Amino acid sequence: MKRLGLARLSAALLLAGAALPVAAQLPAAPAAAPPAQLPPIPAWGGTLEPQDRDERGLWMMSADDEQLIRGSRFVIDDPALNAYVRGVLCKAVGADRCQSVRLYVMRVPVFNASMHPNGMMQIWSGALLRMRGEAELAAVLGHEFAHYERRHSLAGFKQARAATDAALWAAFIPIAGLAVSLGALQGFFIYNQAQEKEADLGGLSFVQRAGYSTAAFADVWERLIAEEDAGRVARGQKPRAGRRSGFFATHPPSAERMTYLRALARQAADTGDPGAASLRAGLGAWFGRFLEDQVKLNDFGGTEWLLADLARRDGWTGQLLSTRGDLYRLRGQDGDMAIAAGLYREALAKGHADPETRRGLGLALLRQGQQAEGQAMLKAYLEAKPDAGDAAMLRMMAGLPSPATAGPTQ
Amino acid sequence: MKRMMVAAGLALATLAVPALPVAAQEVARVRDGVTITPGQTRIMIMQPNIKVGSMSTGGLFEPNAEWTATARKLIDAQVRQQLAGQGITLVAQPEIAAGSDGPQNPVQQYRALFPVVAKAVMEFQFFLGNRLPTKKRPGVFDYTLGSGIASMPGAQDADYALFMFTEDAYGSAGRKAAQLLMAGLFGVAIAPGVHVGYAGLVDLKTGDLVWLNADPEMGGDVRETDGAVKRVGQLLANFPGTKLTAPAPAPKK
Repeated sequence: MKRLGLARLSAALLLAGAALPVAAQLPAAPAAAPPAQLPPIPAWGGTLEPQDRDERGLWMMSADDEQLIRGSRFVIDDPALNAYVRGVLCKAVGADRCQSVRLYVMRVPVFNASMHPNGMMQIWSGALLRMRGEAELAAVLGHEFAHYERRHSLAGFKQARAATDAALWAAFIPIAGLAVSLGALQGFFIYNQAQEKEADLGGLSFVQRAGYSTAAFADVWERLIAEEDAGRVARGQKPRAGRRSGFFATHPPSAERMTYLRALARQAADTGDPGAASLRAGLGAWFGRFLEDQVKLNDFGGTEWLLADLARRDGWTGQLLSTRGDLYRLRGQDGDMAIAAGLYREALAKGHADPETRRGLGLALLRQGQQAEGQAMLKAYLEAKPDAGDAAMLRMMAGLPSPATAGPTQ
Repeated sequence: MKRMMVAAGLALATLAVPALPVAAQEVARVRDGVTITPGQTRIMIMQPNIKVGSMSTGGLFEPNAEWTATARKLIDAQVRQQLAGQGITLVAQPEIAAGSDGPQNPVQQYRALFPVVAKAVMEFQFFLGNRLPTKKRPGVFDYTLGSGIASMPGAQDADYALFMFTEDAYGSAGRKAAQLLMAGLFGVAIAPGVHVGYAGLVDLKTGDLVWLNADPEMGGDVRETDGAVKRVGQLLANFPGTKLTAPAPAPKK
């Protein structure tokens, strides 16, 4: 399976690499010189079929995975959202290529997309939330399709096998063999990074042909770096996201991807459409749900950055203000309840009609001891949402009697 | 998925993890109070999770679609034959029968959940070195997939669901050579292959795991009929309410 970004192998492997000083003596990955221009889109050879034993094996595993994925509760089966995302894929790669992909929109609040060799593509809701326009979404989906069309999973598997075989044989050589082993393994990661870059460029070629803005894809990585850094700073860590590549990194660092994509976009004389409005329309009500999922990730710094970035585009809408109120209320540190209450009030002042804002305000006020107004807000919420999952608890907090339907307890 | 295979392969290649000592592992448990009566009890056979391939020299799993397809056929036939021979009424998993499959499908969700629970049993109860304090009381065997399984399509037509998992990686020629050399030159044991399997029975009213059999020493070449007979015999050994017993251990290859 090929994934879009930020994947890291297990911490144990990273530690193993870090503990061995020999790593420093190995040749570094070749510096990424941006190619002169976007690669041409190859002639379409039709839907892939597995060719050899290895490929049939990988397809068999993918079919098993797909069976479970298809039945998963994380699949968003809303026809409108699926039709929209699929439509963007088809516009990007073309109707003929599009037919060979089965696309699954997964409700996972993390930035990622992936491609299985058999044509199963996934995009996670965390990626959809982070797109600022249809052009970016087209680039991400085009990147995944480029992995598929170029049979990257199969080539990567063969490369991994060759690397691990070489590593094992090298282990027979005392002392020096260790360096050779690690070199062989690193070769696999360098190869993998080259595949990611090839898919980045392939995706960008699709984007350009479809008439979208080519500048957009670089922006995705720039924002990811900023968001990750903001999250790190809020946790008291040093900002360093995306700027360097670990020894066992399967993907180029985000900063490098941003740089070569930006250089290519400039050469491509960008006149295309970023598609901001069409993306907003396409996501529809899902945008708000994805925002809620994001708040629950407990990544205060990253989410603050993300909301501020959305506000740079749309202004501080009632929805963004209310979501930011949730973020502060759920963190609940000193002073957060007052900030949250202020944000909810601003949202209400802008006419934001979602009952959840009143619920959040009610809870924030109660936590500050403002009983009367807090209870009034919860009552207003319960009137709008009498069937809320925690209605019984909220009724108690609002000072309302238990519902008459409740039978006698034993 | 590929990433996991690669990670596992790299770990095997670089660290040469020796197999866990088998003696420290309990093999099977039955939950108290389970009643399986031949002639009455209906068992739904869930689509088993079967993977067959080879192990590359460096330890990577190389999936083999042909071997897997053969093993699936042979194991399915054997499971049916051996259980029917004990008078158990067999019921097919619903969408295998109907040929339909769709999003948010509880059948697939329970197929995905079962290995997670089974692995928790193996790791935190069956493996003596890591047994949780709450799993040390005699007779305790308390795991469940949740009572929601009662509303899974087809659940009302059966009493129990049988889940099975097998994974086999037969050592390639290079792997076998490396194994001999490693052992001969350095005395280091590297696994010549992987042969794992487990089977479990879940109560379709409560979701409780009522039986789990996870013998870590799986035998029988699942690519051949005789081997599949043996493997299924091992998977179904001491199936509650039946006279099924483990096949006699064959000489090791």
